[in-house]
Amino acid sequence: MHTLQVQGVSKQYEKVLAVNNVSFEAEPGRILGLLGPNGAGKTTSIRMITYITIPDSGKILFGGEKVGPKSQEIMGYLPEERGLYKKMKVGEQLMYFAELKGMPKKQAREAIKYWLDRMGALDWVSKETNELSKGMQQKIQFIATILHDPKLLILDEPFGGLDPINADLLQDVILELKDAGRTILFASHRMEQVEQLCDDICLISKGEIVVKGALSEVKKRYGKNTVLIDFEGSDAFLDPLEASGAVRVNVRSTRHAEIRLLNDTPSKQVLQAALQHVSDITRFELVEPPMREIFVTAVTEQQGEQALNPQSEGGAA
Amino acid sequence: MNKTFIVAKNEFMKRVKTRWFVFTTLLGPIVLVGFFTVIGFATTSAIEGGESTIVVLDQTERIAGSLSDPEGDLTFTISDADEETLRQQVLDGEYSGYLVLPAGLVDGEGSARYYSTEGGGVSSFNFDLRNIIRNTVRTLRLEDQKVSNEVFEIINAGVPLDTIKLSDEGEEQGSSAAYAIVGGIMGFLIYISMLVYGSVVMQGVIQEKMNRVVEVIVSSVRPFQLLMGKVLGIGAMGLVQMTFWAGLIAAGTMGSGAIISLFVDPANMDLPDTATQTEILDAVGFQVPDLGPEVFVFFVIYFLLGYLLFSTLFAGIGSAVEQQQDAQSLMLPIMMPIIISIVFLQAVIEAPNSGLSVALSLIPFTSPIPMVVRVAMIDVPIWQLGLSLLLLTGTFVGAVWVSSRIYRVGILSYGKKPSLREIMKWMRYA
Repeated sequence: MHTLQVQGVSKQYEKVLAVNNVSFEAEPGRILGLLGPNGAGKTTSIRMITYITIPDSGKILFGGEKVGPKSQEIMGYLPEERGLYKKMKVGEQLMYFAELKGMPKKQAREAIKYWLDRMGALDWVSKETNELSKGMQQKIQFIATILHDPKLLILDEPFGGLDPINADLLQDVILELKDAGRTILFASHRMEQVEQLCDDICLISKGEIVVKGALSEVKKRYGKNTVLIDFEGSDAFLDPLEASGAVRVNVRSTRHAEIRLLNDTPSKQVLQAALQHVSDITRFELVEPPMREIFVTAVTEQQGEQALNPQSEGGAA
Repeated sequence: MNKTFIVAKNEFMKRVKTRWFVFTTLLGPIVLVGFFTVIGFATTSAIEGGESTIVVLDQTERIAGSLSDPEGDLTFTISDADEETLRQQVLDGEYSGYLVLPAGLVDGEGSARYYSTEGGGVSSFNFDLRNIIRNTVRTLRLEDQKVSNEVFEIINAGVPLDTIKLSDEGEEQGSSAAYAIVGGIMGFLIYISMLVYGSVVMQGVIQEKMNRVVEVIVSSVRPFQLLMGKVLGIGAMGLVQMTFWAGLIAAGTMGSGAIISLFVDPANMDLPDTATQTEILDAVGFQVPDLGPEVFVFFVIYFLLGYLLFSTLFAGIGSAVEQQQDAQSLMLPIMMPIIISIVFLQAVIEAPNSGLSVALSLIPFTSPIPMVVRVAMIDVPIWQLGLSLLLLTGTFVGAVWVSSRIYRVGILSYGKKPSLREIMKWMRYA
C-alpha cells in the first residue's frame, strides 16, 4: 500500500528550526490537506518528502520504503512557485519531464496525447511555452505532474490562477485520481477548497503540528460553537454582544453574520439579542466552525495574536 | 537511462537546434580570423606610424639626394631654410620631423640628428630611418674609397638566417612563427570557449532558477545529476564546435602558405611581383608547420578539462544568484586565472620553455591555455604534461564537489543576494 509516513522529522536552517519533530501519515485514496501560515514549514516538509532535501533527523517512508531516487519516480510534485522552460515546445517539455521520471518514450507519448486532449490543449503541443497564457501554462504544469501516473501526488496551490471552468476540470481529475487510490497531499491557503476536497488535514505552525486528523473529526473536536444568522434590519445588536466579550463576530455583512460563541455563551443569548433589534430573521443555525476559523484559532493559540498579525495590531483591537 | 544523460541530452539538443549555434559554429572562424587580422593591422600600423614626410637640412650637400625608403613609407624633402624655420614647420605639423646631417658626417664626424614632436622611442620607424641613413652614408664612404663593384656586391649581399626547431625526432625545418600562430589561435580558442561556454552554463542555471522550473526538476533528479548533466550537455555542444574549428585550423595550417603570401608584398622582399608562393614563403622564412595529431588531441583534452573546471564553478555561482548582474562580483576571483593566462599568452609564445611558461602550464587554473600553446610549439616533456593533467583533473574533481554543494542549496534559495561568506556556509549543510 502506498502510504506516506512522516516520522519525527526535523530540519534546521542556520538558526531557524524550520520543521520540528513532525509526524503524520497520508493514506492512499484520500486527500490530506497540508495547511499552515506562510513560513510555517510546509515547503520544507514537502521538499523532504520529495527528496529534494534530506531531514536532519526522523524518517520519511513511502510504501514502506525510505524516500529516495526510487520514490521520486512514483511521485508528482506541483510546487507553488512553478515554471516551464520558456523556449521549449510543450510536447518536448512534457517528454523531458516524463523521461526524467523514468518513463519509456512510447508510453510517455501516449500519456502526453491523452492528457493534452483531456485538458483541451492538444493544439498547443508544438507551441513554445512563452506563447501560452498563464492559465494554459498552469494546465501544462499540472499535466507534467500527473503524466507518469504517480502514486503520490503533491499539489501546492494547484488552482492558483485558473478560471472557474479550468479549476473544475482540474478538481475532477484530482478526485478521479483519489478514487483510483492515489495518495494526495494538498497544500493551500484557500480554506473553502480544503473543506471541499480534503479528507484529512494537518495544520503546521512554526514548524510544529498544531492540528491533525480527519477533517470531520477535527471539526467535531471544536464543537458546534458558531452561529450563522441571516436577518432583515439593523445589525446594531452585534456591537453590545461583542463588547460584553460573549461572542466574536467573524463575518459581518448587511444581512448576514457569522458569530463565534465564546466562554460557553448559549446560542439563545444571540437569538434574544437579535430578536430585539432586527425586523426579521430568515436563518439561525448553530454549526461547527468553518475550516478558516479552526485555522485562525489554532494558529493564534500557538503563536499569540501578535505573532500572527504583527502589522495590523491597531485593526485587531 | 541514467538521469544525468537525459539532462545532458536535453541541454545538448535544445541548444544545437538553435540558430545561435549554427551561426556561431559557421561564423566563429570568420570572426576569429577577422579579429586577428584587425589586431595584426592595428599593431603593425601603430608601430610603423604610417607614412611620414621628413624635411632634410643637408650640410654635407651630398647625402640628401640619395636618401630613399625602399618601403616607401618615408619621403624626404631637401630644404635650405634655417633650423628655426624648420622647427616651426614641424611644430605646425607640416612635416613629421626634420633631419640635420652635419657637414662631417660622411667622414665620421658628428652625428645625424632627427627632431620630431614624438621624440625617440623604440618604434620600427627609428630603426628604418637609422638603416636608411646608415646605408646611404656607407655607400658614399665606399664610393669615396673607390671600392670595386665586386666588393660592393659582397657587402650588400643578404645573410639569410634559417630557424630550425630541434626535437627528439630530429631537426625540423619550419619556422617557429608558424607554430606560434597555431598555438596562439588554439590558446585563444580555449580562452573564448571557457568564457563563452562557461557563461552559457551559468545563464542556463540562472534561467532555470528564475523560471522556477528547477524545483520540479530536482523532484525527479538529484541536484548533482542536474548540475553534471547541464555541464556535460553544454560541453558536448562545445566539443562539436571545437572539433569543427580544430578541423578548420588543421586545414588552415595546410593552406597557411597561401594565406601568408596574401599578406606579404613581394616588393618588400626584393622579389619580383611574379614570385611564386614558395619563393615568397622562403623569403619570409616561413614554412608550413608540420603539426602532429597529438597537438590536436591535447587541444581537445585541455579544452574539455578547462571547460569542465570553469563551467562547473560558473554553475555554482549561477545557482547562488537570481540575475546575471549579481554574478559579476562573484565571478571575478574565478576569472582571474583565465585573464592571467591570456595576459601571459605573448610571453609564453615568445619563450615556451621559460620558467614562467612551465609554471603557468602546470598550475591547474591557468594551465589549459599556456599548455596548448606550448604543445603546439615545442615538445613538452612528458612529466610536465602528466603533472599538468593530473593537477587539472584533481582540481576539476574538487570544483565539482564544491560547486555541487553550493548548487543544491543555491537553486532553492531566493531573495537576498548571498555574500561569499554565506555561500561558503552552504557547503557545510547536510
